Amino acid sequence: MSAETAGPETLGSLSNEPEHQDPNSQQAKEISGKSPLRIALGRLARDKVAVLCALVVLFFIICAVFAGPISKLFGVSLDTGLASEYVDGLNNGLPKPEMGPPNGPFTWDHPMGVAPRTGQDNLAYWLYGCRVSLTIATSAAIFASTVGVVIGLVSGFLGGAVDKVLSFFIDMFLTIPFLLAALTLAPILNERFNTSDNYSTIQKISLICVLAVFGWMGTARLIRGEVLSLREREFVQAARVMGMPTSRILFKELLPNLAAPIIISISLMLPAFVALEAGLAFLGIGVTDGVSWGQMILDAATPVYFRDYPQYLWQPMVGVVALVLSLNLLGDAIRDALDPKTRR
Amino acid sequence: MTQDPNAEAQIEPTEVGANAAESGERQLDSDVSDAYGSHERGVDGLDFSSLADLGHTASELDPDAPAVLTVDNLKMYFPVKSSGLVRRTIGHVQAVDGISFEVPQGGSIGLVGESGCGKSTTGRLITRLYKPTGGSMMFEGHDLAKLSNREMKPLRRDVQMIFQDPYTSLNPRHTVGTIVGAPLEVHNIVPKNKVLPRVQELLEVVGLNPEHYNRYPNEFSGGQRQRIGIARALTLNPKMLVADEPVSALDVSIQAQVVNLLQDIQREFDVAFLFIAHDLAIVRHFCPEIAVMYLGKIVEIGDRETIYGRPHHPYTQALLSAVPDVKQAAIGGRRERIRLEGDVPSPINPPSGCRFRTRCQFAQEICAKVEPPLLQIGKRHKVACHFAGELGAHPATPVTTELLGVDDQGSTVPGATPTNTQLTIPGYEKTWYDLGTKQTTGV
Repeated sequence: MSAETAGPETLGSLSNEPEHQDPNSQQAKEISGKSPLRIALGRLARDKVAVLCALVVLFFIICAVFAGPISKLFGVSLDTGLASEYVDGLNNGLPKPEMGPPNGPFTWDHPMGVAPRTGQDNLAYWLYGCRVSLTIATSAAIFASTVGVVIGLVSGFLGGAVDKVLSFFIDMFLTIPFLLAALTLAPILNERFNTSDNYSTIQKISLICVLAVFGWMGTARLIRGEVLSLREREFVQAARVMGMPTSRILFKELLPNLAAPIIISISLMLPAFVALEAGLAFLGIGVTDGVSWGQMILDAATPVYFRDYPQYLWQPMVGVVALVLSLNLLGDAIRDALDPKTRR
Repeated sequence: MTQDPNAEAQIEPTEVGANAAESGERQLDSDVSDAYGSHERGVDGLDFSSLADLGHTASELDPDAPAVLTVDNLKMYFPVKSSGLVRRTIGHVQAVDGISFEVPQGGSIGLVGESGCGKSTTGRLITRLYKPTGGSMMFEGHDLAKLSNREMKPLRRDVQMIFQDPYTSLNPRHTVGTIVGAPLEVHNIVPKNKVLPRVQELLEVVGLNPEHYNRYPNEFSGGQRQRIGIARALTLNPKMLVADEPVSALDVSIQAQVVNLLQDIQREFDVAFLFIAHDLAIVRHFCPEIAVMYLGKIVEIGDRETIYGRPHHPYTQALLSAVPDVKQAAIGGRRERIRLEGDVPSPINPPSGCRFRTRCQFAQEICAKVEPPLLQIGKRHKVACHFAGELGAHPATPVTTELLGVDDQGSTVPGATPTNTQLTIPGYEKTWYDLGTKQTTGV
């Protein structure tokens, strides 16, 4: 009776995943576990939209990381000589015909043309702007999600008074209007640091801080909710029974189970921060030294330039929209890939 | 051999809830284990009867075994908080209210009762997932009830737990090797490079392929997962295992395997079990001693034969009469089924006196006034009832009046001194109160 049923049970062909392959093939013989994350990754690889988005994101990452070499390859740089060599002061400061569009034909010297009035090379600024955008968004997302995850974990797992206090802080930060706070902080920081040598670095760091300080609450709430449900699972109680210290339960038992919400929150935070960075730069309270998509948009969004030189506006716009859109779609695809895996 | 599985077992047909497959009457070869090893070979050559004999006998009671765990007057009250800004405590759920029992070394005690009667809470108290409100749990000279979490840590090696649901009791993001090896790392018992051999050894013990240590739980079936949970509980060589409904979530054929595995483990490693279950047949097979709980109290405790053959408490009788019985169906007899009326009272505000009185057909005034003591009425039999008696032979007058110094209505008799000399100790005494003669007798 039990002897019969025990045989196949213990010998086990164990995978829950339906596998349509030759049982004698090399792959089937190999016994190694597939972690839930690896299964999700496989699912992601089959998602065409996700692959496309990942390629787009990869393109932007390459642009950002290799901004210097790529600029050199095209023979362009952030350094601009005399503006009058590039732009025609009599024609609203629009580029001279030999600088390429809008008045002249395409030229390899300036593949994306030059900026009106200043004569800065658009390609170089676009590439470095991409770097600034991605650096700020990535580091802010990492900071915000680290803070959010730790606070969510602790408040969800410990409960009681700790939870009350931390939840109060989460709610408090959520009530502060982000834009107002950023607008208030910018002049204060300006006042404090505008004489220092590395003003632009300080500006970027403070921007990262502002984004992170107002971005962690969503993650914290999400993680707290997940932990509230996870901590009642029996494997957490099993860990307690075996005498596991709380820190180990939090970071070794619970954290791996939160991989999905963390990855999702980061992947949705990134595009939000890219857009916010551009938005703040447009308002003049983010990066103000011009090497930023937001600043490029601010420059280009003048009726005269847009009528005569629309490419100047389209270039940074296409960058922001393509990056944000593909990051968002990728985040959605990651969520879809991870979600059905969380069965039981 | 006939096709009727009940024909072989010689059980009294009157026995309440008897089930031939679980009665342990068969003489079986105890060396043969079907939890691992033997079943990997083909069993095609055997006919049904010899195949059936590969099964396990019911566990035997060793009356002289010393107690490994002594639970005395254990209490767990959960506070009930009011809603609103200031959350005052407005009451307590008396989940476990003064229970006492002993778990013998290498033996097993079964804990049965309906949902919400405090069985699982008891298990969680012993493993110290909760800190008890009162009482003591003596384990190897330490009172588990009073230890702080830090002092508890070395003792956690000896008291481990098997969980009910194999789908939530394993961390889905850890490999089997990590899960089973985690206790070793937490307690720093073996160097890191020795963890894997121990894990593989344990997997072999519970009948899994040791090569599967790097797989994830989602790749295993329910029965296999439960084996992984058992392997994890065994990692630290515990002296005591709390099995909280270890087979409830499994289907019946897998239940048999897991129960047999637990019996093998008990025999091989001399582990004591506190076996919490709903399934009376499985408890009967696994536990030579059984405690019946109702609303946070033990109402009857005794050895297997007494509890299943001659239960004295009306609740035990009702519980056993609810077990579907194959044998009854086979002989066509119709057995009286005791239907309990009403609901279980709220544990926040339990009834006065006897907690079962609101649903008991024998309840009289005394039951509301005086709480019946858990009285030893046999060599290994205790019952908490004023009208304790076998099914259909309950006495008309309370049996406990002289002991408690009260009259039949439960009012205190002036001048009468309670003659109850029995201390409610967790174990059994040499002498007991005979219901027939109303005298304290011995062997």
